Amino acid sequence: MSLKPRRVDFEETWNVLLGTIKGVITCGTVPRHVWNDRFSDVYKLCVACPEPLGDKLYQETKLFLENHVSELNQSVVGNGDESLLSIYHKNWEEYSRGSSYLNQLYGYLNTTFIKKQKHSEADLNYGGFTVDPVDQMLEIGELALDIWKRVMIEPIKSQLISLILQEVKRDRKGVSVNQTVIHGVINSFVNVEEYKRKNPMQYYETAFEAPFLQETGEYYKQEAQQLKDECSCSEYMEKIIQKLDTEDFRSRKFLHPSSYTKVTQECQQRAVADHLQFLHGECREMVQNEKRKDLTNMYMLLRPIQSGLGVLVEQVEEFIKQTGLDAVLNVKGDNIPSQFVESMLEVHNRYKDMIKNVFNGDQQFVGALDKACAHVINYRLNPKSVCKSPELLSKYCDSLLRKSSKGISETELDDKLASSITIFKYLDDKDIFQRFYSRMLAKRLIYGLSTSMDAEESLINRLKQACGYEFTNKLHRMFTDMSISMELSSQFHDVVKRDNLHTGVNLNILILQAGAWPLGQNILTFHFPSELEKSIKRFEGFYNSKFSGRKLSWMHNFCTGDLKFNFTKKTYFVTMGTAHMAILLIYNNRNVLSFKEMQLMTNIPEKELTKFLQSLIDIKILTTQGSIEDESTFRLNPDYSNKRTKFKISVATQKDSPYEVEMTHQTVDEDRKMYLQAAIVRVMKSRKVLKHTLLINEVISQSNSRFTPNISMIKKCIETLIDKQYLERTANSTDEYSYVA
Amino acid sequence: MKVKIKSNWTAVASWRWIANDENCGICRMPFDGCCPDCKLPGDDCPLVWGQCSHCFHIHCIVKWLNSQQVHQLCPMCRQEWKFKE
Repeated sequence: MSLKPRRVDFEETWNVLLGTIKGVITCGTVPRHVWNDRFSDVYKLCVACPEPLGDKLYQETKLFLENHVSELNQSVVGNGDESLLSIYHKNWEEYSRGSSYLNQLYGYLNTTFIKKQKHSEADLNYGGFTVDPVDQMLEIGELALDIWKRVMIEPIKSQLISLILQEVKRDRKGVSVNQTVIHGVINSFVNVEEYKRKNPMQYYETAFEAPFLQETGEYYKQEAQQLKDECSCSEYMEKIIQKLDTEDFRSRKFLHPSSYTKVTQECQQRAVADHLQFLHGECREMVQNEKRKDLTNMYMLLRPIQSGLGVLVEQVEEFIKQTGLDAVLNVKGDNIPSQFVESMLEVHNRYKDMIKNVFNGDQQFVGALDKACAHVINYRLNPKSVCKSPELLSKYCDSLLRKSSKGISETELDDKLASSITIFKYLDDKDIFQRFYSRMLAKRLIYGLSTSMDAEESLINRLKQACGYEFTNKLHRMFTDMSISMELSSQFHDVVKRDNLHTGVNLNILILQAGAWPLGQNILTFHFPSELEKSIKRFEGFYNSKFSGRKLSWMHNFCTGDLKFNFTKKTYFVTMGTAHMAILLIYNNRNVLSFKEMQLMTNIPEKELTKFLQSLIDIKILTTQGSIEDESTFRLNPDYSNKRTKFKISVATQKDSPYEVEMTHQTVDEDRKMYLQAAIVRVMKSRKVLKHTLLINEVISQSNSRFTPNISMIKKCIETLIDKQYLERTANSTDEYSYVA
Repeated sequence: MKVKIKSNWTAVASWRWIANDENCGICRMPFDGCCPDCKLPGDDCPLVWGQCSHCFHIHCIVKWLNSQQVHQLCPMCRQEWKFKE
């Protein structure tokens, strides 16, 4: 066959072609060779001389298809409503398949003739002219679909839609329907415009989806109303969830994928969002009674709704606050710190677990838990009093880390320390915690009371992680001093051994750096017992030879040693503070001592001496008559007995006195003032000029990781800085400051 | 002997610098604190004495000496600076 253009008789060729087209469009039998030959007929017509007949071919084909579809339409309508859907579906299946074959048959016409006249994509997007689809030539496959839409669907559209809606309604009621037919019919709305580049879904959306959604909404409105009247809230939720599930399944059965979420949203709107008040009203009761199953359902229903969860979150927060406060405020009896921390942890863990299981670990609820815990932990009965929690938590840590008989395993200890960090993170006044903690740590280190150094360090590292290097550097410093002191002690021992200067007393030395340790101001001084004086002098000599420019001050109240009692029937080994040692050692030369003599010989201030004597009398090592007065006399008690041969006279300062607590809070206040002043200067230095409120906000945000400053304290600090001429008020404004360089 | 000290005795002392002044003459920070470049006072930021008996943070005086091209003088008394042994 030649490909050359030549003269063609249109009528003749068209008639032959028409026969095949009829066969193709009805999916009848078309023999292979006939099918093959028709390609060349199409080609011949398109390239015919003297002028190509493509246009005529197009018009004829269009006419044929229009007639064909209109015939089909008659047959669909003719059979009445009952079988309308199924006949429509059958014809559509046949027609859509046939037209796609037809499109292939006209491939040459499509590519050479029609593409040229079509507007390119760029024209459509940027050309700025609107295209009337009737004017535009379409590829044959598209043409067929367009004709189907115009000639078949449009005339019977309302009928089709209402029939489909009826079928869906029957399906909702549980009557079985022909799924393929409905699915096919619905999808034909999509298919007829699928070829369009712009808004291919538009026809489906306006013709079918919109009325369908409306109908669905209407249905669920009624359903929900009915259920609400009949059932309790928990039943209602369960049924609605079930219904939403089946509806989702139904969408998947019938609809185009683009509609799934829209349908679900519509249903949620009608069944949940429209009844928010009803559902929210039940939240409180469910939360209060911890109805986990109902809460899970409630969460599932409310989550997709905009601002639906708010009320539930609030209720949960409120409830956790309440239970937390109940638990914490009811703490009584001894060992308050550990009861406080442990009951708080219990509350925290319980609701953390609940949020994980019931609310799927939703961030909003985690936030509510955090807020509630922070509220409980920083709660103060009276707004003016200080919050006890930092103190309690540090005492709890102290009790964990102190050597004790309780004997908990290492992993258990580690777990407990880790969970105390959980509480720590909620503290507002982290600096108060730090103060208490460092004081207790100091005592543990000085008296050698720590269970394990590893545990100590792991807790400090955790604090560092939570609060930064600055927060723990003094604590680290204390550890360094401990190891330096160990080294010093052993060097000193070597020197003593080498020079043969042993005095009979083995000296353990702790040399602490004044700034890093919270040692307190009022250091008790008195004469060391002469037995010890020599060693001390020797060590001072040794120390000064090693370091120049340093002054040592001995902290008498922290020094401890062991005494051996020979005056009793049994021998005892007793650990005690140096003051007690000084008192008892005098008895080596005397039998009876009066208060005055005692004071003269030890040089302990009267008030302290009374305390020390009293404690010795209380445990019956000394005896006296009546209360302690200037003229009282004291003797050793030779009848002293104790079950243990090794014991300890507790040093008064090992226990926290209320005075010390008070002092701690005061020093914290001082620290805060310094911190705030530094923060103010930093902010002002970078901003130069700043409004009062902005400055306050900046300072608060800077200090929040350590403590929550109160406004009046910030104001006072600003005043101080103005007095010190770091800042001044700007001339023309009352609430503005400027930095004075 | 009615009572006797058993061999072990733990003595605790704290130390601070003894300098002839409160503040470092170069950075004007207290000797109990550290120089402006350091974070922690104490062993990390020690003091040094010159033969003229003036005393500074070691970081401060070293910085000063490095900035002097010709003679290395004590910034307080203008005598030649020599570290005290």
